[in-house]
Amino acid sequence: MCEILQRSGTVVANRKLADNLFLLDIQSREIACAMGPGQFIHVQIPGMDARILRRPFSVYQVDEAAGTMSVLYQTVGAGTQHLAALEAPFSVDIIGPVGNCWEVPEGNDRLLLVAGGVGAAPLFVYAQQLVAAGKQVDVVLGAQNKDALVAREAYEELLGVEPYCATDDGSYGYHGFCTGVVSELAKSKQYGLVACCGPEPMMKIVSDIALDSNIPARVSLEKRMACGIGACLSCVVNTVDGYKRSCVDGPIFDAAKVVW
Amino acid sequence: MDINTQVNLGGLMMKNPVTTASGTFASGKEYAQFFDVGKLGAITTKGVSLDGWQGNDTPRIAETPSGMLNSIGLQNPGVDAFVKKDLPWLKEQDTKVIVNVSGHSVDEYQAVVEALEAHEGIDAYEINISCPNVDRGGLTFGTDPRVAAEVVSACRAQTKRPMIVKLTPNVTDITEIARAVEAAGADAVSLINTLLGMAIDPYKRKPILARVVGGLSGPAVKPVALRMVWQVHQAVNIPILGMGGICTGLDAIEFILAGASAVAVGTANFMNPQSALEVVSGIESFCANQGVKDINELIGELNC
Repeated sequence: MCEILQRSGTVVANRKLADNLFLLDIQSREIACAMGPGQFIHVQIPGMDARILRRPFSVYQVDEAAGTMSVLYQTVGAGTQHLAALEAPFSVDIIGPVGNCWEVPEGNDRLLLVAGGVGAAPLFVYAQQLVAAGKQVDVVLGAQNKDALVAREAYEELLGVEPYCATDDGSYGYHGFCTGVVSELAKSKQYGLVACCGPEPMMKIVSDIALDSNIPARVSLEKRMACGIGACLSCVVNTVDGYKRSCVDGPIFDAAKVVW
Repeated sequence: MDINTQVNLGGLMMKNPVTTASGTFASGKEYAQFFDVGKLGAITTKGVSLDGWQGNDTPRIAETPSGMLNSIGLQNPGVDAFVKKDLPWLKEQDTKVIVNVSGHSVDEYQAVVEALEAHEGIDAYEINISCPNVDRGGLTFGTDPRVAAEVVSACRAQTKRPMIVKLTPNVTDITEIARAVEAAGADAVSLINTLLGMAIDPYKRKPILARVVGGLSGPAVKPVALRMVWQVHQAVNIPILGMGGICTGLDAIEFILAGASAVAVGTANFMNPQSALEVVSGIESFCANQGVKDINELIGELNC
């Protein structure tokens, strides 16, 4: 287990990108520089009063020179709604980096990255790493609508081509869930690995498609979490090897081992 | 000023009154990343049963006002795995080790203690007769004074090590159970375990926890815990390990005044992994500021 740090940080920007979607820039040099692709931070949001637990956030991009990391988040409950209303700059207490990392596989096989909603964030640093390693990467982004495809341009800049996009309402790209695009790609192209992050039902479908096509798949899972350091056993994922902690045994799991 | 913080919890000498509440600290390794756990008076481990227990389905937790519900279900790999994987590490830490013992039956409690007796490095047991999250055992042992005494007697027959018995608040009269386990040979009692509660998602019209109900902990339960520590302190002669929502040194001092000889930090470990250490230093600064030379001067010294 690599060391998890606890440091203070400063949120230097907290801005709205689309309906319910926000981007945080956090300055906390040691943690930012230690982050690996797919890892997350466990953040105490200030002023939460009666809401006592930290909130886990995947890291979207890291700027090592500036000592900052960005977090793409969706307002889903009271914690993220409270966070969205805070005006930068403000201080936060951060635990991180937490969890395992996406791995760069051996060989020259093409890889497929599939992201649903804010799942585009934790896959981005991985995509950067794969591109830097000279791997061929296809990316599928799914979102509710065109405005919610907030990471599309960053991926396009990285890949040099536009990622495959799917929107639930058909306002951009493929009309329907991104799983439809994945299904087509799995038939038409050869992949050595599928890496997926998004809502759990979507990850299950993507895993099924990949495994049915004999493509290994990895998924990034998140469960309701308390400590975020592996002690409380709240966030467990059911696997063929028994319950595993999504915080420190994951968040990335071999899809073939997950009992959905 | 030199302050004596050493306390005697039923024969367990702790260099300061602070330990961890079982289940919130694993066996301590995870927290050793954040501070020297040797600075605590003791580490209380996650519950250990005879064979491994899988625990409950997810979701296992829900955040509630000033607290949280959990229904982990005592997931643990069993006593052999504990002895192999965690005990060697615990022995190296400069602190006392309290192993929390869980069971589905009187025989299982007894068998766990028996298995642990063979090993050095265990300074005390905490017999958990109060977990609300398992179907058999746990809570059912802690709500009936006769059954509680039976578990304690069975464990007592296995060991001379200090034995703390963890009590549930989910009873009409906690002093009745406390007296029963004292008579059966307990060296100390710890309280409170979690309060049985539930949380509901009104949009889905479903409970948030997979197991529907779970144990409430955190600052929300502190007043209940203080009241029970105070009641039990008046009812028994054995020392009390007090817990329930302790986040700061001041919280700990309140428990000590109510009658606790030692305190455990639980849910606060999830809020801030350094909480237990901060409670240790908070107690010291309270004593320094208030001219208290010996923490023992404060135990049960509430003016009612």
